Amino acid sequence: MSSAPYDQVQVLYRTLLVFATVAVVILAVGLVEFVYFEPPGQATGVKAQIVGVYAYEPSTGATQGSDRSAFTRTEVFAAVVDWSGLPSDLNVDARWYDAFGSVVGRVGPSTPAKLGSSSIVPVITPQGLHHNLPGDYTFVVERLQSGVPVEVLARRIVLVER
Amino acid sequence: MSTSTYTTPPAANPHPRLRPGRYGIAICITAVVVIALVISSLLNYVYLDTIPARTSLYGLLAVALISLGTYIGVRAFTRDRASRRKHLIRAGVLLGLGTLLWLLVLDIFVFTQAAGPGVAAICALACLPTTALGLLVVRRMDRNEKEPWRLVLVAAAWGAIVATSLVIWGETIWDQVAQRSLVPGPGLDASTAFSAGLLEEIAKGLAVALLFLVMRNDFDDVVDGIVYGAAVGLGFNFLESIAYMTNLYAIFSPDGIGWYAAGLQWYGRQVLGLFFGHATYTAFIGAGLGIARQLPNKRQKAFAIVSGFLIAIAGHFSWDAWVQFFPIDNSLFGLVEMHLRTLIMTGPFTAALIALLIFGIRYEAMGLVDQFKKEAATGSGAILPEDVPILASPWRRLKQRLRAFRRGGLRAYLEVARLQTAQLDLAMERWHRERKEIDMPLEAEDALRQRVIQLRHWVPAT
Repeated sequence: MSSAPYDQVQVLYRTLLVFATVAVVILAVGLVEFVYFEPPGQATGVKAQIVGVYAYEPSTGATQGSDRSAFTRTEVFAAVVDWSGLPSDLNVDARWYDAFGSVVGRVGPSTPAKLGSSSIVPVITPQGLHHNLPGDYTFVVERLQSGVPVEVLARRIVLVER
Repeated sequence: MSTSTYTTPPAANPHPRLRPGRYGIAICITAVVVIALVISSLLNYVYLDTIPARTSLYGLLAVALISLGTYIGVRAFTRDRASRRKHLIRAGVLLGLGTLLWLLVLDIFVFTQAAGPGVAAICALACLPTTALGLLVVRRMDRNEKEPWRLVLVAAAWGAIVATSLVIWGETIWDQVAQRSLVPGPGLDASTAFSAGLLEEIAKGLAVALLFLVMRNDFDDVVDGIVYGAAVGLGFNFLESIAYMTNLYAIFSPDGIGWYAAGLQWYGRQVLGLFFGHATYTAFIGAGLGIARQLPNKRQKAFAIVSGFLIAIAGHFSWDAWVQFFPIDNSLFGLVEMHLRTLIMTGPFTAALIALLIFGIRYEAMGLVDQFKKEAATGSGAILPEDVPILASPWRRLKQRLRAFRRGGLRAYLEVARLQTAQLDLAMERWHRERKEIDMPLEAEDALRQRVIQLRHWVPAT
């Protein structure tokens, strides 16, 4: 080994700066992704109405009981949406997301008029499982633009207990 | 300086009598961390009233005890033998109380409700050997001057206990706000990834920053930074693995696949991702601080530190935000995909870190060899000309120790190891002094030299 030239730490420093530049690019791409899916200035002021979240009977396709905010893992449940209050030209859908962010129930996308009969949106147990996964489930009515959800018109969170 | 004034031989790197200015920064950081912990936990408890919120409030005392115990424990090693034992006992009691309290909080409010303490214990036992192996490997990466175990373990403990506590609270608030205000989907995923990258890396990085500020004598360069950073990451990964394993066990056990889910999580985090994930990210923060340690001006130091944090945050963010774009097939090929995904997504970051590490080790070795030669040329007797080729090579140092072992057993081996360590410390001290990156008086170097000469008298000729 030979003696160490003083400015070798500068090589390390410059290498680190190169890596940091790549890091800034990565974070910028992340920011662009966020803005693309969460575009600013999309608030229309329109509000959808979620009537409630109820226990659901898949065989009859009907809801039962009263509006609830918590369910057990073995219970099947569904949200009921009132599409009638929404402007007819909007492109909307309604989705259930489980605690892992996976879509576990959906109607749409379409116009509120066409979705009028699809007012009940049940949660579907993931394939291969016997029960719903526990955690917070988020139900949203969304406005879409070019096929991408850009605004939440109504939101409801219910808990599936462990 | 006469060694007779010490009740014990001076430490390899004696500390200055006066506290340098960076201690003030360390105290400020600590105060900010404590205030942040208190405020966020109170807010969580008042506004969220969920299990993590209760954990945060009741865990505060545990965090305080562990922080105080760690501080007293680390500083105990800088004291003379007479008061060291007293301080170590105090630190041990505080750490023990804090750990017990923390485990109690976790068991009652998290693990017990999720999967039960038995499952939590099994998961912890499964993660212990892999994490220990990780720490062993990380510490051995520093071929020239290994970091003391106490500091490596302190770093890992911060990662496991303090950093995880900090992020539970920060992420809970961030996620609650995001879940109630953003459009679910990739935008929300990106937000969650930003929160994980930003909060987790800052929480982990604070530990490395505090070591950088307080334990400057054991934080020499980029290699040391990488070692400490990786240790913090391994500690964090340890507790996060347990949390994920127990959580997934609880979720999937009603379907009869609880252990399968927990086992897969263990493999992903403790085998496949042991060095790729948190260890890599936080090691970059350490690398930034380590490079800053040796840079001449403040502007460059600041850039290096910020760069380390940026790389860590970006690496963490990219995994969390874009892992969904590499879905794993539910078949045997899924196992191959799982490995490929880690290699493709985190591999470049780990490769970049290894490049910094290799360069750092070579650079450090060159600096030390230069100082071995210069010290040998002074004729002080601390390093002899024939010592230089041995000290320059880790393998030759090992051979020298093994020769001593064959001749005089374990005691001789340890004495030679102590001598080599002291000689390396002396060369490191000289290196920093020559580069004007040390704030200790010249007497400290003389004390080191005297210690080497003293040790040389105790060690039989090898």
